[in-house]
Order: sequence, then structure tokens, then C-alpha cells
Amino acid sequence: MSTAPAAQRARGPVITAWSAVSPYGIGRAAFTGGVRAGERTDAPVDPETWRSPDERACLVPDFDVRAVLGKSGTRGMDRVTGLAITTVRELFAEAEAARCPVPAGEGTALVLGTTLGSAQSQHDFVRASYEGEKPYDVPTRQMPYTLMNCPAAATAIRFDLKGPNSTVAGGRMSGILALGYARRLLATGRTERALVGAVEEYSRSRAWIDRHSRRTAEGQPDPRLGEGCAVLLLEPATGEPDADVPDASADPARTPLAELLAIDIRADVRGDPTSTLRESVSQALGDAEVSPEQVWAATSGELPGPLGADERRLLAELFGEPATARGRGHELLGDTAAVSGVFQLTTLLARAAEDTEAADRFAVLTSVDEDGMIASAVLRLLAQDGGS
Amino acid sequence: MSAQRVVLTGIGVLTSIGNGVDEFTTALREGRCGAGPITLFDPTDFRQQIACEVTDFEPERWVRHTPLEELGRASQFSIAAARMAMADAGLEPAQLRDRPGLVTVGTTDGEARELDQLVESEIADGPERLDPTAVRRLPAHRLALSVVRELGLARAVPSVLGTACAAGNYAIGDGLDAVSSGEVDYALVGGSDALARRTFAGFSRLGLVASDRCRPFDAEREGLLTAEGAGVLLLETLDSALARGATIHAELLGYGLNCDAHHPTAPDQESVTRCMALALADAGVKPADVDLVSAHGTGTRTNDITESRAIRALFEDGPPPTVALKSMLGHSMGAASALGAAASAIALSRGFIPPTVNHRTTDPECGIDCVPNEAVEAPLRVVMNNGLAFGGNNASVVLGRYEEASR
Repeated sequence: MSTAPAAQRARGPVITAWSAVSPYGIGRAAFTGGVRAGERTDAPVDPETWRSPDERACLVPDFDVRAVLGKSGTRGMDRVTGLAITTVRELFAEAEAARCPVPAGEGTALVLGTTLGSAQSQHDFVRASYEGEKPYDVPTRQMPYTLMNCPAAATAIRFDLKGPNSTVAGGRMSGILALGYARRLLATGRTERALVGAVEEYSRSRAWIDRHSRRTAEGQPDPRLGEGCAVLLLEPATGEPDADVPDASADPARTPLAELLAIDIRADVRGDPTSTLRESVSQALGDAEVSPEQVWAATSGELPGPLGADERRLLAELFGEPATARGRGHELLGDTAAVSGVFQLTTLLARAAEDTEAADRFAVLTSVDEDGMIASAVLRLLAQDGGS
Repeated sequence: MSAQRVVLTGIGVLTSIGNGVDEFTTALREGRCGAGPITLFDPTDFRQQIACEVTDFEPERWVRHTPLEELGRASQFSIAAARMAMADAGLEPAQLRDRPGLVTVGTTDGEARELDQLVESEIADGPERLDPTAVRRLPAHRLALSVVRELGLARAVPSVLGTACAAGNYAIGDGLDAVSSGEVDYALVGGSDALARRTFAGFSRLGLVASDRCRPFDAEREGLLTAEGAGVLLLETLDSALARGATIHAELLGYGLNCDAHHPTAPDQESVTRCMALALADAGVKPADVDLVSAHGTGTRTNDITESRAIRALFEDGPPPTVALKSMLGHSMGAASALGAAASAIALSRGFIPPTVNHRTTDPECGIDCVPNEAVEAPLRVVMNNGLAFGGNNASVVLGRYEEASR
């Protein structure tokens, strides 16, 4: 609980808190415990509840929206919205418990990544149109849930978040895209702080979509789908106050956990995703002025299939096996799609908190998808002495 | 790095009243209305059967390097609008290929139209038999990614913002920040949505769809007309535009974003006023300097009253003319505010106010001059363009006529 020492003065925005709702359970402590234990989280999918084609998946245990959030204002609330609200609730409660509460209101933005919002809500809504007596016999109460911005908007209503409220539809790149977007909001003073994260729900509809769009090779086991939500608190660095943004800086009561140094996002435009990723990582490292040997951990998106394997190999080649071994672990949560990037980061932060060697060293995050999206980020890990 | 002035040098539009900047300009001046019978899904048994569809769209004219069957209609739209914007700016994709860029597309429904069709085939044949090619068209991020890949923009960030019906303005604002700060050299930003049965059914059931025409601010308005379209703007720094002798449609002066944090569907008047005030402060413009408001103006009872009250609260000395382009274009969802910004830029550079068409009697509760039915010649200097969305996601963008002297 102190301001960062001079050697750790940060220039980029800093992550000062995070929480998660994941197959490890609800809240940051459950997530940290899960990372430490390193156990698989997949379990049989109850056929009656889900009517899903999947036999196993990585679900948030016992996550029933109304049981978790109470009956007030949750009637008809879909799973993806419930996951987002619960995660932000946890982040606020944990900050409160650590005696450095996060303000809400006009100075707090929410930037949330997604793939489609809730495929299930959308599916059910239009299905009603086809199957109802009249084509307009649709459940209007559910209409907001068919929109991709519903989790972010509903979270804002619940916690009075009146700053910019943005939904980034980035699929697997959502985490890094949301960080890049939020960094711009902070740099221009459009918000004092940003809650930045991503959310993905498990559903029957998603399971079928994934099954049909998957490109894993014949003979490989089907990936286990995972779900959850993770949210980071991103604040401007305390080190150098920006003349244009006099009041915006991280609350000194919060310990910065990591500094966001560089982001590179691009598309593979020549049918060579691995070379494109190599260029992207190189660009991000160059922008961050970090050399490969300074990298303590490198984490890949763990896309199921050969493309994901190529990504892992490239990181091992660039940064060595010890660094990539430190970057693994989030794959135990299953294929978490939109939230995979933020889970990569929270897994790293949980691990770095328990390893004194991580302090003031660097982490590289990458992600690729089957559509040709490529993303890299470089962060500096800061000493988490005393934690929060 | 100090903020640089950002200008709009390319406009690409697909709308129910005309495609491309020239036809769109003519249509705005003539006050064309794009309403017509729904052809893109079967409207049988719906109580209303009118929408605003993009006609004369030939995707193969615009999509040259991507197999068409890989692209949903909204992605085809965003590619076409991006190509138009680049051509209008006098740029070839190869000139931008290796320069850092941002391609941000706002959308409400992404490829909802594709999901509509998949659900229909699932009902017929079961979920086991869905067409994988169609399923792969679904992810919303393809609306921007498809542009980047089709145009071979090797250093562009593809990004999709899903902030519902204000998404186009969100994208424009993000592009403004990225170009202004020097993070990127150019931005292709806007919005795209294709007509979807799901959205139509929802609005219809809510009683928000008009039976024949959309009449914003009219005493007898019945509601909105759903629509489709795309608007993409090419943004670059003023220095870059001047250096290459580009035609400047308008300068982007600033924007504002906020969230009502109040209600899932009903807009909050004070919050809407605050969003516009944020935009004006960001632009360094006083309310009295605003010559025209391009309203969100959906034509529903609630929106038009709340928004006009919010506008009147901001302009204490009386609001400037306030037009609703949705009277012509319908509500093209995530594309709407991008098309509003395109029309605002055209209004600034050509010196006219596009009208609010289909208008009979202004609702006294709205109390604004909506420039009914006929375009008006006017030397405009500053236009504010609003986008409001379900979920209370508000975004206002301020554009100015390009003038050499710095503000």
C-alpha cells in the first residue's frame, strides 16, 4: 500500500485492480486459488439444463444469475449480462474490502469485449418470431438482451457508471482491443479511469455455432468451451501527470500491478498468420523498448487447432520455454473465446504476485484467430508487495 | 504528442436513398425518402411491411479478393462503403497498405441477418445440419476485419464497436482520437447494418414501427422504420490532407460519449444534454456557434420528445435548426449516426440543410424547427450529430466547415 518507487515510475496506463468470474469460481481469490492449483475445470454438461451437443465444458460452477445477483432487477437477465455484472460487483467489493474503493459515476468508463453478446438470447428471440402464432410474437422484455451492448449497459445501470460505455466486438482479440480502446479514452482525458474486460457465456447456441465453425483437424479431440468474465481497472500512470489531464491519475492507495506499454493489432493479409504474428510481436516489443530476454512470461491465446500450436511454437522460439511455461494456465479454463485475452492477463497477474522475480520484468500476450486477426501486447509487471 | 487537427476527406455511403457521395448528396438535397416494401425477408403476417432497404447493391462490384459466400451482407456493405470512401478521398489501398491505420465499424446487429436465416434452417433441419460457411459469417468483428483483408491494409487495426444505435458515432470518435494523437496515419470509421427480421420483429412488437412513413418531430408520428445501410469516413490529419491536395469535406472538431446508467431502453434527458455538452466542450465550441443539429430523431414518441427537450436545455437561447435524417433513411441502426455524420459533412461543404421529410405538423411538445420537407440553402459552420442507443449509450460528434485559420 504505497506509491510506486521511483524505479517503477510508469508512463503507460496501469492496471491497479482486477477480478474475475470463471470456472474457478466467483471473485479474484477463487481465480488466484485456481491458478495456483492448476487443475482442469471441465465437467460434464448437464443434458437437461443445456440440451447441448457438448459432453463436457468449463462452466462457472453453480452460476445461476438470480441466485448470484438476487431477484431484484434480474428477471429474464441472460447469462452473459449476469456474468459481467457479477464480475464488476466483485471488483468493487474487493476494492472496498481493501479500503481503496473504486469511484463510480461520470469519471468511470466501462469497456467490455464480446464475440456476439449472447448468441442464445438472439437465437431465442428470432426463433420466437418464426414459431409464434404471429411473426411479431417475440418477448419484448428480452429485446435489450439481443443487443451486444447489453452486458456493458446493464452493468452501468447497476453500478451507476456514467462515463463512456463501450462494447468492443472483437472475438478472441477482445481483451487486447479493449485495452487499446481504453488507453485512447484515458490518453485523451475522456475518462478518469476505465473498467476494461471481456465476457463470454456458455450456451447451447454458442456450442452449435462453435461446432460448425471450428477448423480443428480431423482426429483431434474437440476443444472444451469455457466461459466467464474478467475486468481490470485501468488508470493513468501516477508518474508523470499529464498537463492536459490534471486530475486524472491512479489513486495512490492502489498498487499498480502492471503497466501497459505497447499494443499491436493487425490482420493477416497475405495468408501467413504466423509471419504476421512475428511482425506484430516485433513491433510491440520495439514500441515498448523491450528485448526478448527481458520477457519473464509469454502467453498465447491457446486457440484450439494447428494455428494455436504455431502461435505457441513462435513464442517458445522467441522467448524460450521457461517464459512460455509461465504464460500457460488459462487453457485450463477451456476455450473462453472473447474473454481468453483477459484471462491470459489475469492468470499472469496472479502468477506474478507469487513470484518476486517477476517484478519489473515484462510480459508478452498474443492472440490469433481463424479469421486472420492477430494481436500482441507488452506489459511491465510491477512489484505487488503487500498486494491490495 | 500534441493533438493534431483531423479532417474528413473521404465519404462512402450505402443507403435507401442512394449509394455513393454524389447520389447521396442529390438525394439529401431533394429530400428523397427510402421507404418501400420489405423484400429482404418475408414480411407476411407482420402488421407493418415497410422498411428502408439498400437497392442497387452489387457486392461483386466492390468485393474483389474475398469469396462472396464468406461475407454476410453487413460485411459486404462495410467493404463497399470503405472502397467508396477511399476512392472519394483519392486514395488507392496500396498507398495505405503499410501505414498504421484504424478501421473501426460500429454496428447494432452485426450479421444478425445471417443468424435469422440459420435459425430458420435449424427449425427446418435441426442444429446438426447448419451450413458451416454461413455459421462462419456470424462473428461481428468480421465487419472490420473483412475490410482490412479485402483492401490488404497490412498495418490497420480492425475493430468493431457494438454500441447499438450510436455505434457509428463511437467509431468516428475513436478514429478522431487515434488520428489526432498520431497513433495512426488514417482511420476508416463508420457503421454498417443489414436489415434483420429479428430487429424488425422486436420494434414491431414494441409498437414502435410506423405503418407507412417515418415522421420525426411530427404531431402524428407513429414510430420508426427499420433500415439498413453503411457509412464509412476516411479521416486523416489536416497536414496530411493539405500535403496531398485532398478535398476536405469537413473538419472533425470533437465528440462526447457518456452513459445514462438509467434504463435499458428509455433515454434520459439530462444525460443526453450532458453528452452534447461534452462534445461541444471537446470541440471548443459554444452552443451559440452550432448552426445545425442532426438529431438521432427516430420518429418514436419517446425519443423525439426526450431528445428535443435535451437539445432545448442545451441551447438556452433557442436551438438551431434540428433535422432528422431518419425521415429519409429510416433507422439504419449502427450505420445511422455514421450516415448522419456523412450528411453533416456534406451539408457543411455544400452549404445546405437537408430536410426532415414526410412532415405535416410539428409536435408542439418537441418545439424545434425541423426544416420540414424542403432543403434550405445555408452557409453552415458547425454541425452537431447525435447518436443515442438502447442501454443509454450516447455519442455526439461535432463537425465544422474546414477553414484555414486554426480554431
